[in-house]
This record gives sequence, C-alpha cells and structure tokens, in this order.
Amino acid sequence: MEVIINKQDSTTTVRFIGRLDTPASLEVAKEVEPVLQDASGTIILDCSEMAYISSSGLRIFLSIRKASIAQGGHVIVKSISNDIRQVFMMTGFLNLFVIE
Amino acid sequence: MSKGQESSNFIKQSAKAGLLLIVVAAVTLEATALIQYFFSQRGIKEEASMRAQSEMEVTKLKIIDVIDQTETAVRNCIWIASWCLEFPDSMKAVTNRLVKDNPVIVGSTIAVVPGYYEDTPLFAPYSFIDAETGEMSLTSLATEEYNYPGQEWFKLPLKRDAGVWSEPYMDEGGGNILMTTYSVPIKDVSGRTAAVLTADISLDWLTNLVGKLKVYPGAFSLLFSGSGRLMVGADDSLIMRGTIADFAARQKDSTSYGMLSRAIMGGETGSKSIKVGGDLTHVYYSPIERTGWSMSIVIPDSDVFGRIRRVGVVVGLLQLLGLMMLALILRAVAKNQMKYKELSDKKEKMESELHIARGIQMSMLPKTFPPFPERHDIDMSADLVPAKEVGGDLYDYFIRDEKLFFCVGDVSGKGVPASLVMAVTRSLFRSVSAHEQSPQHIITAMNSSMYDMNENDMFVTLFCGVLNLTTGHMRYCNAGHNVPFILTDHIAPLPVIPNLPLGISPDMPFEEQEIDLHFDDALFLYTDGLTEAENSNHELFGEDRLKAVLSTRRSAIGHLRAMQDAVAKFVGSADPSDDLTMLFIHYLNETKPDNMERHIVLHNDIQQIPQLAEFIETIADEKQLEQGLAMSLNLALEEAVTNVIMYAYPEGADGLVEVEAILKPKELEFIITDSGKPFDPTAAPEADTTLSAENRPIGGLGIYLVRNIMDSVKYKRNDGKNILSMTKII
Repeated sequence: MEVIINKQDSTTTVRFIGRLDTPASLEVAKEVEPVLQDASGTIILDCSEMAYISSSGLRIFLSIRKASIAQGGHVIVKSISNDIRQVFMMTGFLNLFVIE
Repeated sequence: MSKGQESSNFIKQSAKAGLLLIVVAAVTLEATALIQYFFSQRGIKEEASMRAQSEMEVTKLKIIDVIDQTETAVRNCIWIASWCLEFPDSMKAVTNRLVKDNPVIVGSTIAVVPGYYEDTPLFAPYSFIDAETGEMSLTSLATEEYNYPGQEWFKLPLKRDAGVWSEPYMDEGGGNILMTTYSVPIKDVSGRTAAVLTADISLDWLTNLVGKLKVYPGAFSLLFSGSGRLMVGADDSLIMRGTIADFAARQKDSTSYGMLSRAIMGGETGSKSIKVGGDLTHVYYSPIERTGWSMSIVIPDSDVFGRIRRVGVVVGLLQLLGLMMLALILRAVAKNQMKYKELSDKKEKMESELHIARGIQMSMLPKTFPPFPERHDIDMSADLVPAKEVGGDLYDYFIRDEKLFFCVGDVSGKGVPASLVMAVTRSLFRSVSAHEQSPQHIITAMNSSMYDMNENDMFVTLFCGVLNLTTGHMRYCNAGHNVPFILTDHIAPLPVIPNLPLGISPDMPFEEQEIDLHFDDALFLYTDGLTEAENSNHELFGEDRLKAVLSTRRSAIGHLRAMQDAVAKFVGSADPSDDLTMLFIHYLNETKPDNMERHIVLHNDIQQIPQLAEFIETIADEKQLEQGLAMSLNLALEEAVTNVIMYAYPEGADGLVEVEAILKPKELEFIITDSGKPFDPTAAPEADTTLSAENRPIGGLGIYLVRNIMDSVKYKRNDGKNILSMTKII
C-alpha cells in the first residue's frame, strides 16, 4: 500500500495505491496524521488505484471526514470502484462523503 | 519378601511336595499290595478249601469202598444164613466163611432171635480172628453175661428190618481195636424174622488212612462217629471218649465250637474258622454217607497264609526301603535345584510381567480388522510385531467428523523404556487429536509435551495424517518418520518434508502438507523394522522388496499378510532385530466430492492478513467467483480474523487462528477457530449506519461488515475455543 499526499493551495490530494487492509491502515493512519491537522480546506481522497478497503481503512476515511467537519473543510472521494462503492453503500458511507 | 524367606519357603514348598509325593507313592503301593494280598488270600483260601475237600473226597471213597465190600459180603450170605436156620450146626460154616473170605471182616455171628428154637432160647455162634494168634476161632455169644438180645447191633436191625452199621466201639477183649459192626436181619422161608447176621470190621486202617492225611505240615484230620465220638484224631486218649458236643460245651468259645459240632453232627459239608488255643484254625468237614460218620480236616491259619504273609512282610519292607530312598533323592534334588529355582523364579516373574505389559500395550492399539466394517469408503489394516516382549512402535487411528485421524510412530530404542514412551505418545496423540483438526497442530502439541517430559533423551518419529473421507483431501505432517508410500497408478514415496522427530527441540516448527487422494488410492505406512529387517547374511529387506509386495493388488489385510510372509521368508531363522509396524489405508470413496476443503493457520499477528487475502483469492479463483464477491468475502474474513488477532489473546502472547473453508457448489462456509478468551461477535450491538459523520463512532464497523456480507454467522464456544462459522450463498 502506498499513500501519496499532495497539497496545492487549500486542496490536499491523498492518493491510495493498492490494498487498504488492516495492516496497511495502521501505517496509513500515521501518514495521514498531517492531513487531519490541517483539514480546513478541500481534501480529495483519490481511490482510483485503491483495490480494496477494510473497516480500518474506512475508519481512516471517517476520521478525515470528522476532522474536516470540525475544521470547516470539504472531503471529496474520487474514482471509487464499483466494488468499493458497494462497501461504502453497505456502511452508509455514501451518505457521509461527496463521491465523484 | 526377603531372599532368605523366599528360599526357606521354597524348601518348605518342595519338602511339602516331596512329602506329598512319598505319601501318594506309599498309599498307592500299599493299596496295590493290599489288593494283591486280598486277592491272593482269597485264592489261597479257596485253594486250601479245595485241597481239604478233595483229600476228604478221596478218603471218603476209600472208606465207602470198605463199607460197600462189607455190606456186599454180608448181603451175599443172607440167603445161606436163612437156609442154615434149618440146620443150626451149619451156621458156623457160614460165619467162618465170611471172616475167612473177607480180610476186612474180623468177626461174624448169626444170632438167632430168642425163642426161635423152642429148645434153645439163645443161639449165636461167633467166628473171629484171634487178635493174639491171628487164627480163626469160634465161640458163642449166647452167654448170660453178654446177653446179646440186649445189644444194639441185635436190636436195631430187627427194629428197622434193614441192615444197620453200629456205632464204632473199642473191642476191649480183642486188644483195644476200634471196631464197627454191620448187622442185617435174617428171615426164614416163611418170612419170619429169625436171626441177625453180623460182620465186625476193624477200623485200624482208618487210623492209617485218615491219620496220615497231611494237607499242610500243621494240619490233621478227624473222623467222628454218628454220635459225635472221635474215631480217628490227633490225640489217641480222646478216642471214643465223649462226643464232640460235650467237647464243644467245655470250650471257652463254646458258641463257635457248638456251631461247628452241630454242623458236623448235622452231616453238613462246609468249613468254619475257630480259635484253637488262641490260633485261628480252619476246619473243613464233610459227612461220609451211609455210615453217619463225618470227616474233618483241621488246618491252622498260619499254615495256609504263612507264606503269603511272609512274602507280604518282605514286599512291605522293600517298598518302605524304596520310599525312603525316594525321599532322600527328592531331598537331594530339591536342594540342588534351589539356586536354579530362585533364579528361574525371578526370570519367570519378570517374563510374566513383561507378558502382561505386552498385553496392556497391545490393548492400547486398535486391533479389529477391518476396523470400520460399516464403511465402504475406507479399507484399512494395521499390524505391530515387537522384537522383544514389549516394543516402542505404535500406530493408532480413529474417525471423527468424517475424518480419519491416523499415525504411525517409532520410539528410539527398544524394550521396556521404549514401550513406556510409546504408551505416552499414543495417549498424547489421542488427547491432542480429540480437539485438533490439523496434523501440524497435533504434532506441535505432542512435541512440546514430549519435550517437557523427555529427561532420557528419547525421541519419537511420527507420521500423522488427517484424511477427509468425504473429499479425499489429506493433511499430514511428518516428524522425522520413514517416508510412507502412496499407491496410485504406480507406487511412489509420498512427498514429505522430513522435520525433526518429537521430543528434540521445543520450538522447531513442523510443516504441514496436503494431498488429495482419489478413489482406489492407498497409503502404506511402516516403521524401519520393515525395511531394515535383516537376514542371516546381514542383508536388509529394503524398499525394493517392499514395493514388489505392494505391486500386487490386494485387500488392506492381504497386503499386510503378504508383507509379513515376505519378511518372514526373507529373514528366515534370524532373530527379529527391531519392532515392525505397518499401516495400510485404502481410500475407496467413489462418489465425486461436491465440496472441497481448504484451510489456513495464522498467528495472532496483523501482518499475516495478506496471507489470508491470498488464501481467499485462491478459493475465489478455484470457484471462479466474480471479483466483487471475492472482495466482499475477503473483507468479511479479514474483519473476523482481525478481530481475533487484535483481541482474542493477551497482549504479547502467541496464539493461532485457523480458517477452514468448505466449498460447496452453492455455498461457501468459513470456520474461524481460535483458542483465545471467549468472545461472541454475533452478540455485539448493530452499528447505526444512518448516523451523520459527526455522530458515528470510529469502531464497530468490522462486525457490521461481516454480518452484512455473509448470509449467516454463527458462534459457538467449544473445547476452550471460539468457533465462528459463516456461510455465503453463491
């Protein structure tokens, strides 16, 4: 799993590449810590290359979303696959995020 | 019991046995002797009786012969005596003739009935041999003092009108000779009784005839007259003095003498035993017809049985001597054997204990073949032959949940120590496999137990397998054991990772392998006692011979018998060098499995999650599941397993999670098992997915996902394990 964080102006893009399973999520949680600190802008979670997500991955998404709300920012989930969309649907995440 | 006591007890025992033997021998010998004596005695007694009777018979015949002669001679003269009545002077010629012609007749008279001749009242000329001169003499009995009409010899024949023998009497005038007289009545031509014709006979010869009879050295004979007077006997002073009845009445033992005298007087033939002066005496008696006499032969008991009694005493003494010698020999033998006996007792005891131990050891192993006669999907047979009384080989098998658990093992070493470890190993196998599905787990658990208790550096090689009888899928783990053979369309060694034997290293990992058996495939497991069986040329049985036996198609039990025969033939007379164990499993499930099984075992380390993903991916490929479904399954499994990894075991503790997948045509079942603290995920509250992001809790999604993805989720706690089973319809 690889996470690439790119900040341009007030927009932060987080690119998830690979499987966001539990062990990966433990790493990713540390890497996205700065994003949570600075969540007042727009955060784009780029899922185009994300193959899989587990509940721990969803927790990272949720924590980002919570930070964003707290700091008055926006979160956009971009390019999720149908399979992952299913997971989002199942967990009610479709209602929590703006999906593009 | 101390040695001293033991040997003194032994001596007592053998002394007892010896005594018993002697007593038995003595009783037998004596009984035989007694029986023999009894029968001999009877025979001898019978013989004595026969001898007495035959002697008496002969004597009787001789007496009767004389009597007959006399009677005949007298009867022949009756007519002439009758004729002479007319001529009284011629009477003396008749009597003279009678005496002269018959040597046995010593006197004769014709005594006329008083008054027959009117002129002479008494008339009785008497011819006789003069005892002194031996010359024929003549006299008259018609004297006043003799008064012949009053004599018995005259009266009785007239009274009875027949010939009569007189009671014997002593002829005092004629030299004390025992005499008897035969008298017959004489009638004249008109039929009137006129006179009595007599013949006196001397009984001298009787003394010779009867007195000389000697049946036995101490025996003697007696002759009694009709009135019971002794005519011939041992003591001359008693002759014709008193009767036998008087004599009997005077005896101390008057009853038996009385009986005897009555028998003799009654003219009976027989025998009686009486005491004469304290000595037992047998009296045989028999009457002499016509005379009214009775003859007896008296034989002292000592004469009859003296010899046999002497023989009996000699035989008895010899037997006693023999028995004493027997006792001495027994004593010597018992003493000599004591030491040997002590040793052999100990050996025997040990052997019998070993024999019992062997029984116990063998009873641990399943021994009924075929072991599952009701099943048609498996044919198997096993055999264990220890080289010594007890051995260190083992095998075991049982079926649980349609799975055949089996093992074959070999403890290092032989004999009693090996057999003890064997027993422990077998128990461990049973207890561990009772709640484990995985050979790897079984072997690992057994290893750690055995390592802990292994103080004698013994180790065990063990092959353990679990064969799913439904699918043919076999999981196995080999702890340093001989490589089994698999029989498919050819015979080949089963691919095995050797691993270390049990009891050597506490934390050496054991690797598990798997293989699918198909209908008619078979496995042959054995211990090195088979391939290393040695003949007298120190050649080994080897794998080639083994394969040669297996190459023929046979039943499981047939294979083992053929193998035993081949080994026996090869080894010949050489001693078996090692325990020999074989297990043959023939898989015969024809029905194509419609479900398959896969499984994976993970440690409680979150880094193992990718392996789980790989495991699911393999299944998805195999079942050709669409990607979305595969991902969902992966997600559900990951959530469930993560839960265990993160929370089931205490922080830092090592634990395992086993995932078993049962793949049916329309359904997938996953069973997640762990030995951690009890936790029922199905009891966790439902997560509310309708809440806004602010209000949603961070956790709780994992279980939610599992429940949503799977069609059913069930939890149970069993044997200290959490078992979560989840199914997904496909």
